[in-house]
Amino acid sequence: MTPPLSLRRSAARWLGLFVAALMRLVDWPMRWLQRLLGERRMAYVFLLPNLVFFSLFVFLPLIINVVFSVTGGTALFPSERPYVGGGQYAYLFDCDSFLDPGSCREDHFWRGVANTLRFTTFQVVAMVLFSLVTAVVLNMRIRGRGFFRAVYFFPVLLSPVVVALIWKWILQRDGLLNAGLTALGGQKILFFIDPGWAMFWAVFVSIWAHMGFYTLILLAGLQAIPADLYEAAEMDATPRWRAFWRITLPLLWPNLIVVIVLALIRGVQTFDEVFVLTGGGPGTATLMVVQYIYETAFSNQVQNFGLAAAASVVLGIVLFGLTLAQLAASRRRSA
Amino acid sequence: MAELTLSGITKSFGATTVIHAVDLHVADGEFVVFVGPSGCGKSTLLRIIAGLEEVTTGSIAIDGADVTGRPASERGLAMVFQSYALYPHMSVYKNMAFALENMGLKAPEIDARVRRAAAMLRLTDYLERKPKALSGGQRQRVAIGRAIVRDPKIFLFDEPLSNLDAELRVATRKELAGLHAELGGTMIYVTHDQVEAMTLADRIVVLQSGRIEQIGTPLELYNSPDNLFVAGFIGSPRMNLLPARAAGQGAVALGEAGQEVELGRETALPAGTSVTLGIRPEHIALAGEGEAGLAMTVELVERLGGESYLYGSAPGLPQITVRLDGQTSHGRGDRVALRFAPAHLHLFDAAGKALRPDRA
Repeated sequence: MTPPLSLRRSAARWLGLFVAALMRLVDWPMRWLQRLLGERRMAYVFLLPNLVFFSLFVFLPLIINVVFSVTGGTALFPSERPYVGGGQYAYLFDCDSFLDPGSCREDHFWRGVANTLRFTTFQVVAMVLFSLVTAVVLNMRIRGRGFFRAVYFFPVLLSPVVVALIWKWILQRDGLLNAGLTALGGQKILFFIDPGWAMFWAVFVSIWAHMGFYTLILLAGLQAIPADLYEAAEMDATPRWRAFWRITLPLLWPNLIVVIVLALIRGVQTFDEVFVLTGGGPGTATLMVVQYIYETAFSNQVQNFGLAAAASVVLGIVLFGLTLAQLAASRRRSA
Repeated sequence: MAELTLSGITKSFGATTVIHAVDLHVADGEFVVFVGPSGCGKSTLLRIIAGLEEVTTGSIAIDGADVTGRPASERGLAMVFQSYALYPHMSVYKNMAFALENMGLKAPEIDARVRRAAAMLRLTDYLERKPKALSGGQRQRVAIGRAIVRDPKIFLFDEPLSNLDAELRVATRKELAGLHAELGGTMIYVTHDQVEAMTLADRIVVLQSGRIEQIGTPLELYNSPDNLFVAGFIGSPRMNLLPARAAGQGAVALGEAGQEVELGRETALPAGTSVTLGIRPEHIALAGEGEAGLAMTVELVERLGGESYLYGSAPGLPQITVRLDGQTSHGRGDRVALRFAPAHLHLFDAAGKALRPDRA
């Protein structure tokens, strides 16, 4: 029920007074600071609150993580952890062949790496293709365009855990899909027992959940291409596929780069959806690097913070490298 | 090059009809300009010819062949867009070669055509540049070059100069006229600028609210406008259009004072009939000492050096513009008497239709 008008007016007046008082209170120290630092340096004062939070919750954990990666033992506080130098890294990289996770001392990590690579490759390629096709179709003058745009974007609003649970209900042994299959006279398929199916559905669910976001980016890019370019192409007797290949794709390239980079980063970081959907199984068939890090640090009986931190640093470096490479490609293309 | 025939072209968007039964024949090699105010349907008509819009009724024939149902890509026409519509990621060369690649021409043929057009349009030094590295005028020339290389049946121009500054517009206008003389192609050009229309066209089509008001050579439209709209639209400054009443057989009375103006011809209009008298600013002269004329109070004087414009008012009449050769000493507040050259007077009936000597 809406409060009465007089109450709302009174609340607004008090709020106004409060804000005015607050501004008065802030005014004199800010003036004093500006006199002390000069107008140019005042920009840093305004940036300071955000910088403090960013430092506390991003930079500091980053540094602590690097410190942990060169220490050993099970103690939580860095001061109580013995320094082991590059020992954790040496342990991680102790492999006869990097192509064969089984030959590595920490084979779980390398299985996670291999699975993440596979997952990310399939996911990024399929995600970009599906998002592009969907964006192109949603950009056409089709009936119910607004409805379909909303439908495709809707899964983005869901929590990854909710997404995974929805699909788990559909795909599990006695789930909706198997109920449908048996109703049609087919056999049940144990999607989460078969390694191939488990990886397929992990990729599929991830695409289903995030495709709307990437479609939106590409749709914005498509809408930014002037319509008269296509009319000029039509006058130039350009076949549709050639107009797409020679006009749409090059002009959409900056958006595609954004989509590829974001999908790549999100793919490498994948954890919650797959963890809830398959738990990394069957066996280690869908174990991702981030799940390995989580389990090594927090879930295993012996909590190996040092090893998990070292794996995090490796993952961070890979992500950083990937992003730099993609940005360089994007700059070269747009130059 | 080709001739074009539009027969009964009508275009509706839902319940709104924007083009009303337009009939037009454009001869081979002719430069025809569609002119009219914003929203008159000139661009829509051009897009219909291009094949970018479908007709609601009517037919389009190019060289006698019906192309009404054919898509733009199969009509063999080239269009220069108002926004240029250059492909921003392609070089000037690629922009011009793109359509030729679509036609499946061999690389040496494409190269020869692009370089020939580039030389014609002084673009040879810019062939490797992207459109964003070109000035507005250069972009416009690339857009024209893209049309030229295709050797189209008809060139279509949709307000191609409207994004250029005044000086460049004049220069490009001259280039276009030169290009038409050189190529000899059939060209259809859309503009809202009647100066462009007058200077470029072999024939002008004046449009208003989706209807053709008049078709004719620039001087036919200037000298013998069919109606008030054309009279007011063609010519700059515009024709003075003054409400009047028929007074006797060869005269009309103007304004509150009922100043009689001799038409220099007999009319069959009953006395008192409401008409509009049209006279261009250059056909009004100042009466000499003791000569009778329409009294006007000068409100503004524009001195352009070689010519001067007086803007003034007379009781019961809209503002009158007078063009004088050379320089004038008249200033604001001066009272002058105006003499109208009878041979250049235009008379329009209450419906706005011209009353020509044979009809009036």
